[in-house]
Amino acid sequence: MATLTLEAIARDFSDGRQMRRVLFPTDLVFTPGELTVLAGPSGSGKTTLLSIMGLVLRPSEGRMRLDGQDVTALPDEAAAALRLSRYGFVFQQPMLIEGLSVLENVRLAFSVQGARTPAGFRKQAEELLASLGLAGTGHMQPRLLSGGMKQRASIARALIKEPSVLLCDEPTSALDAESGQTVLEILKRIALEGERVVVVVSHDARVFPYADRLVKLENGRVVSDTREGSPAVQETVA
Amino acid sequence: MRSLTAWRMVRHDRASTAGALLGVVSIVFLVGQQLSVLFGLLNYMSVLVDHSGADAWVTSADPRNVDAANLVPGRIVDRVRGLREVEWAEPVLVGSGLFRTPDGSFESVRVVGTRRPRLAGGPWSYAQADEGALLDLDAVTLDRLDLPKLGRPALGSGTEIGDRRVRIGAITDGARGFQGTLVFASIDKVAEIAKTPPGRYSYVLVKLREGTDHATALARLRLLLPEYSVFDGPELARRTRAYYFANTGIGGSFGFSTVIAVLIGAVIISLTMYTAVLGRARDFAVLRAIGGRKRDVAVVVVAEALIIAGIGIFIGFVMLAALLNATGGSAIPSFFPSRVAPILGAVTLAVSLLGSLVALRVALRAEPASVFH
Ligand SMILES: Nc1ncnc2c1ncn2[C@@H]1O[C@H](COP(=O)(O)OP(=O)(O)OP(=O)(O)O)[C@@H](O)[C@H]1O
Ligand SMILES: [Mg+2]
Repeated sequence: MATLTLEAIARDFSDGRQMRRVLFPTDLVFTPGELTVLAGPSGSGKTTLLSIMGLVLRPSEGRMRLDGQDVTALPDEAAAALRLSRYGFVFQQPMLIEGLSVLENVRLAFSVQGARTPAGFRKQAEELLASLGLAGTGHMQPRLLSGGMKQRASIARALIKEPSVLLCDEPTSALDAESGQTVLEILKRIALEGERVVVVVSHDARVFPYADRLVKLENGRVVSDTREGSPAVQETVA
Repeated sequence: MRSLTAWRMVRHDRASTAGALLGVVSIVFLVGQQLSVLFGLLNYMSVLVDHSGADAWVTSADPRNVDAANLVPGRIVDRVRGLREVEWAEPVLVGSGLFRTPDGSFESVRVVGTRRPRLAGGPWSYAQADEGALLDLDAVTLDRLDLPKLGRPALGSGTEIGDRRVRIGAITDGARGFQGTLVFASIDKVAEIAKTPPGRYSYVLVKLREGTDHATALARLRLLLPEYSVFDGPELARRTRAYYFANTGIGGSFGFSTVIAVLIGAVIISLTMYTAVLGRARDFAVLRAIGGRKRDVAVVVVAEALIIAGIGIFIGFVMLAALLNATGGSAIPSFFPSRVAPILGAVTLAVSLLGSLVALRVALRAEPASVFH
C-alpha cells in the first residue's frame, strides 16, 4: 500500500539558450489498486512527469510525498535506496542486461546494491516468470527471447520485489497488438491484486480501455483526469 | 551479484574483453621478457664474482668495476694469508687475447687464469670433462654456448690464444661474461698470453675461516691493505652491475622499452574498456534506475577490470614461463628472479586499474533518467 502525492510539481529544461517550462505546476494523487494511464501527445511531458515520480529526475518546483514522506529532493543515495525498496520500472524497451540470464536479470532487482538474494528467491522468481508466461526461460539469454517475452521478463524484474509503485513508460509500444494486450492485462491484475500504484504512460488509444483512471497531458498541463464510470470528472487534489 | 554481473559482462563482451586482455598480457609478457634479458645481462656482468666462492676480493684501489681493476703485486697474497681469520687466499689473473678458430680466423676472448690446485675463481660447472683438465699447464676451457662462435673446436684439440699454444681441456656450462667470451686457463698461461709482468695479478680472492665475523674480518683486511680495496662478493657484484647499467645505456634502453610497453598496454586497456563501458552505458543507467548507487556501478566496473587483469596476468605469466623455458639454456641472456614476479604482477594490476579509470568515469556518468528515453 502506498500513496504518491504530487503538489504543484513543475519542471523546467534548458533548451540550450533559455529555460523552458516542460511541466507546469501539477497536483495529482495516486492511490493503490488503480491502473492509471498517463496519455497525451508527443512532447507533452509524460516521461518527464513519470521520471519525477520515479525519483530519477528532480522537479524544479513543488513537493512530492510517498506515504507522507517528503521525497522531493532526496540525496542520490537515499533516492537509490527508495527506488530499490519501493519502486518497479518497466521501460519502453525491455532493457534487460545482455550476458545475464533472465533469472539473473530478475535477481539484480534485489541485489544491485550487493545484498544477498533472499532465501526462496529462485522458486518465487520461477513462479513469477511462469505467471507471466515465461515458464522455463529463466536460464536463457535475453537475446533468445521475442520482444514480448523480453518485455514480460522486464516486468518480472520490476515485480519480484513486490514494489509499492510500478511505473511503466510506453510498455507496449514496441510490441505487437497481442503481446501488448497480454502485458496490459498483467499490469491491470497487478494493480488490483497487489494494491499497488501502477502508472502507465501511453499515447496508444488501445491502452485506454484498461485504465481505471485516465490522465491526459497537453503541453505540460493536465487537461483531463477521469475515472472509469465517471467520465470527464476533473480530479481535484485534497 | 555485482561481481557476477561484471563477470557476465566480461564474458559476453568478447571483443572488448579480448582487447583489454591483450593489453594486460602485453604488459606482463613484454616487460617480463625485457626484465629477463636485463637480469640475464646483469648476471653476465658479475658472473665471475657470483661464482667465485670467495668471501672477499682484494683489488687495486677503488676500481670502477671488477673488469677495470689494475694489477696488484703477488706479495699481497702472503700478507693476507698471515691473518688468522683467513682460510686461503688465491690470486686470479685476467687478460685478453685472440683465439685462433679451426678455420684460421680470430675471436677475441677474455682469459681468466686461476692457480692450481685450488682453481679459486675458476669454472664452477662443466658440460664436458672436469676441473682435472685444468691441472695441465696448456689446458683452457671454452663455454658450451660459445662453441659455435669459436668454430666448434673439438675437445682435446690444440690451438692458439695470443700466439701461445693451448689445448681445449674442458667445456664449461654457463660461464658467460658481459665483456666477452670467457676462457679459463692456468694463471701462468694467462701471464704468457697477456704478457703481464711476473708476480702481478688482477685480484686476490680470500676465503675466511668458518665462524669468523665477515664484517670484522673485512675491516681487518682493509686496515692491513690501506692502498688496496677490499670488497665482499655482493658488494663488488653490485658495483660492477651499477657501473655497466649506467654506462652502457642498458639501463636507459631497458627503462625506455619497459615504459613504452607499459604505456601501450595501458592505452589498449583504457581504450577497450572505455568502448566496452560506452556500449554498456544503457545497462549502467538501468542499474542506477532499479536502485543501484554510483558506488554499485563503480563496483561492477572495477570488478570487470580486476577480472580482466587477473586473467591477463595469468596468461601473461604462462607465456613468459614458456619463453623462459625456451631461452633458458640458450645463448639469449634470460633470467627471471622469482621475487620479481609478484612485483610485475602488482604493477600490471595497478596499471590495469588505472587504465579502467576512464571507463569508470563514463559508467558513473550514466543517468538513471536516461532509461526513459
Ligand atoms: N533532458 C532534457 N533536456 C531538455 N529538454 C528535455 C529533456 N527531457 C525532456 N525535454 C523536453 O521536455 C518536453 C517533454 O518531453 P517528454 O519526454 O516528457 O515528452 P513525452 O510526453 O514523454 O513525449 P513522447 O510521447 O514523445 O515520449 C519535450 O519538449 C522535450 O524536448
Ligand atoms: Mg516519453
